[in-house]
Amino acid sequence: MHMNYLKLKVFPLFLITILLLSCEKDDICAEATATTPQLILRFYDKNAPDETKTVSSILVYGVDDANEAVFFDNIRISTSDSIVVPLRTDSEITRLVFHKDLSGIDFETGNFDILSLNYSLEDIYVSRACGFKNIYTNLEATAESDPDQWISDIEIVNTTVENQTSAHVKIYH
Amino acid sequence: MLISVSSFSQNDSIVNDSIRNSYKYGLRIGVDLSKIAKTIIDEDYTGFEINADYRLSKFLFVAGEIGTEEKTTDSEYLNSSAKGSYFKGGIDYNLYKNWFGMENMIYSGFRVGASTFSQTRNSYTIYNTHNEWQDQTIVTDGTEYNSLSAIWAEIQLGLKAELISNLYLGLSVQLKGRITETEPDNFENIYIPGFGRTYDSGSFGISFGYNISYLIPLFKKED
Repeated sequence: MHMNYLKLKVFPLFLITILLLSCEKDDICAEATATTPQLILRFYDKNAPDETKTVSSILVYGVDDANEAVFFDNIRISTSDSIVVPLRTDSEITRLVFHKDLSGIDFETGNFDILSLNYSLEDIYVSRACGFKNIYTNLEATAESDPDQWISDIEIVNTTVENQTSAHVKIYH
Repeated sequence: MLISVSSFSQNDSIVNDSIRNSYKYGLRIGVDLSKIAKTIIDEDYTGFEINADYRLSKFLFVAGEIGTEEKTTDSEYLNSSAKGSYFKGGIDYNLYKNWFGMENMIYSGFRVGASTFSQTRNSYTIYNTHNEWQDQTIVTDGTEYNSLSAIWAEIQLGLKAELISNLYLGLSVQLKGRITETEPDNFENIYIPGFGRTYDSGSFGISFGYNISYLIPLFKKED
């Protein structure tokens, strides 16, 4: 009688709670979680500023502190009107090369301009599993002087980069 | 032969009339053995809890716990420590009808708990899936968030068995729901002393107790 009572009422209770405790999915950072955002740049026509304009055979890559090129996993030479680039999280300045009219991977060909992007980094809490991500605020962009500059103007659409829903920077050419 | 039978039946009726179940009243004080064991085994945990109850009637007890906990929580991207103390107060209701002369309990209890604590953000990794520029950035921080607090309601289910006279061993499961809490700015409470770890999915929590306690008997009352 006494043992039956224990078995029927108490044992299942402990079993259920042990099962509940073993569910710790909260501790694994899910791949779908919004990460540190990348910068979205869109190319516009300098003669018709409301219209996008593709740039032919463009490759965007970075330049690090030692003036070495940094290539991005998802960026290939393409003819496109927009580009998505990661910004540095170890520095508040990111230098990007916009190299157009490339023939193949011959970097002697075409015309390149360098943009210098300045911003402030902020650490934003995501979750116990993913920790913190960065967002970028006070975004500014300047073109480094160049005798045959193909970029005519730069417009910052959103000085805060916290999501990847629309373009942050407009480049006119 | 006849005499002895009749005398036996007489005695029997006397026994039934005069000896009734009596219940011990007094203050029962104990400690949570699981917290002591975890302190020894787990280097990321230090905890101690004293619990007490006092019988109000045959089935009803007023009960409470007081304790301190310090816990470091480490995940893939975040390491933080919580440290603080807590108090819980409420009632236990014995659901178990004891055999004659026994004082065991299978009980259901209700508590309101309150905790004051601090949380330290020891280190974190910047969550970034595009690390072409740099390696994953790990920030060693050490920011301490003080004066945090939480209040929760708790349902307990447990049992207490009398091992030897007045010494009890108890086991309980505590299901909790947070009512209010103060959270650090741009962060959250990962572990709340007394409440336990928090979950992303809601304000619920769960923990166990494994107690040893001693009843200081003050008086007895019959049915």
